[in-house]
Amino acid sequence: MGHLAWRNIWRHRSRSLTTIGAVAVVVFFTLVDFGLVGAVRDGLYASLTDVAGHIQVHVRNYRELREFRETLIRDSAVLAQRVQRVAPGGLVVGVLEVPALVAGETRARGAQIVGLEQPEPLRARFARSYLDAGRMLQEGERDGILLGAALARTLRVELGDTVYVYAPGTEGLGASAYTLVGLIRLPDALAEARLAYVSLAAAQELAAPGAVSRLELHLPQVRRIADDPKVAEVQQAVQAAAGAGYSVESWHQVNPALAQLNELLTPFLLIFTGILFVLAGLMVVNTVYLNLMERIREFGVIMALGAGRRSVAAMVLWESLWLCASGAVAGTLAGLPLVWYLGRGFSLPVVLQEVGAAFGYPRVLYASIQPLEILVTVAFVVATGVLAAWWPARVAGSLQPVEAMRFVP
Amino acid sequence: MEPMLQVRNLTKVYRTDAVETVALRGVTLDIRAGDFVAIAGPSGSGKSTLLHLMGGLDHPTGGEIWFEGQRIDRLGRDRLAHLRLWNVGYVFQAYNLIPVLTALENAAFVLELRGVGRAERERLAYRALEQLGVAHLAHRRPNQLSGGEQQRVAVARALAAAPRVILADEPTANLDSRTGRALIEHLQQLNAEQGITFVFSTHDPRLLAEVRRTVHLVDGQVAAA
Repeated sequence: MGHLAWRNIWRHRSRSLTTIGAVAVVVFFTLVDFGLVGAVRDGLYASLTDVAGHIQVHVRNYRELREFRETLIRDSAVLAQRVQRVAPGGLVVGVLEVPALVAGETRARGAQIVGLEQPEPLRARFARSYLDAGRMLQEGERDGILLGAALARTLRVELGDTVYVYAPGTEGLGASAYTLVGLIRLPDALAEARLAYVSLAAAQELAAPGAVSRLELHLPQVRRIADDPKVAEVQQAVQAAAGAGYSVESWHQVNPALAQLNELLTPFLLIFTGILFVLAGLMVVNTVYLNLMERIREFGVIMALGAGRRSVAAMVLWESLWLCASGAVAGTLAGLPLVWYLGRGFSLPVVLQEVGAAFGYPRVLYASIQPLEILVTVAFVVATGVLAAWWPARVAGSLQPVEAMRFVP
Repeated sequence: MEPMLQVRNLTKVYRTDAVETVALRGVTLDIRAGDFVAIAGPSGSGKSTLLHLMGGLDHPTGGEIWFEGQRIDRLGRDRLAHLRLWNVGYVFQAYNLIPVLTALENAAFVLELRGVGRAERERLAYRALEQLGVAHLAHRRPNQLSGGEQQRVAVARALAAAPRVILADEPTANLDSRTGRALIEHLQQLNAEQGITFVFSTHDPRLLAEVRRTVHLVDGQVAAA
């Protein structure tokens, strides 16, 4: 029946081509949408994990602690070694966050001093993504400071100016002066207005010698959301290595809102795709039904020759599936190469870049599609073919041979 | 020997809205294996209706139809389809070949419905086309064939599946004199050599002159048999 159905759909070439085209367009957009959403999710993922790491280690119940000194990990070097041992390919970064008062010559503001010592790949990515002017801090640099551009404007300081930092109630010097060497532009405007970066050594000297607020574990081999399940395995190993006195959290737990946003993208895309497939399905129904109505007499003959209701319904189903499958092949041949091409990296239009930046997306995104998403697209095509054929197949199966052979359109 | 087909007191009434049309009024008839029978009568006499009922294409309003000892007038649609597929061959006045299939594929169509493998069904279909003298047209589509050639392919379609009986509804009505004569000779030959049972509905005198038995229908009743 399959070969007969295939030839039947070409009886009305232009009608079938239009329908196949509609299915192809939907399949094309579905694959490209999956690729773009993959790019957005991977971009957000890379951006988030670059900034905060895949896994963070804090002292236990750190969110409930109010005193700065209670939040400190004092044996940070030992703990870092233990973490490194269970995550051999990972980069362990110590971070010390210090609440402080930051001042220029004329103005002062409350701010968060972040002391960190980034290894090279992270440092380069940080500079590429966020450095707006000036330079990054050198390793172990004690005198330099980076300010959020908004904070610098508030303080009325420029590159080369002196910035004063007061951190009363801490365990270090408690006050220090730095030279402004760079300005940072962050996606989050509030963060840009309150963050200042110094080297970890400088922050420790200022507020807590030898201590960190947290350890970040960056997993360079986990750059895509599809690889994220590996993080949970490492998280368990790190928790076991750190011991019960520490809280080990994945990026999901550190940024629950962004993690949720990330997880919502796929359901939204599936709903949107479902609507597109319904529209394409209506075209398939129309074509299959018209084909059926024009061949009622022929169906009567086929039934007279001995075809049962199932055979006739199967013929209609085959026609619908051929239309959908042809559209799927055409859409896939157009869509997958485009996803592959966009997978080499693309930039959003300037207007969208600013919107994207507000959500923390990098400037360059990489389209990616998973085998499961291709399977989902195929499943949508098959479901469209079957559902579109359901009603015409019922009509065909209910025909009475004699009446059908006498049918006058 | 028990008749292959037995029709007992058969009636058929078509109802459309408020109109009732009586097509058959108590027809009783026996068809024996190897028969070459014509059902004759003027237009509207019920020839095609009787043929359809005997072939299990429709349900009668009353009476009984027996096919090889099995009562078929009460069978459901699926069992009737099965009966047609495995026992009955049809030849239609308008040929009714499937236009997107070649002559060979048309001839093999019933075998395909039966689930016969491609090589075997093409072998059987080709042999049937050969018997009808149209094997050289095997790869042509119906629109590339003359009326007579199409009708011979239609007969080959019925023949290829080796049915117990072939029911032919006005098979020569659309054919010119010479082509009609040639087709009748083919059918006679098949009946004589292979013992295939043929039942025709016709008012073609050429065919009526060749059959062994004629059942005359008038106003849905057997006038003479």
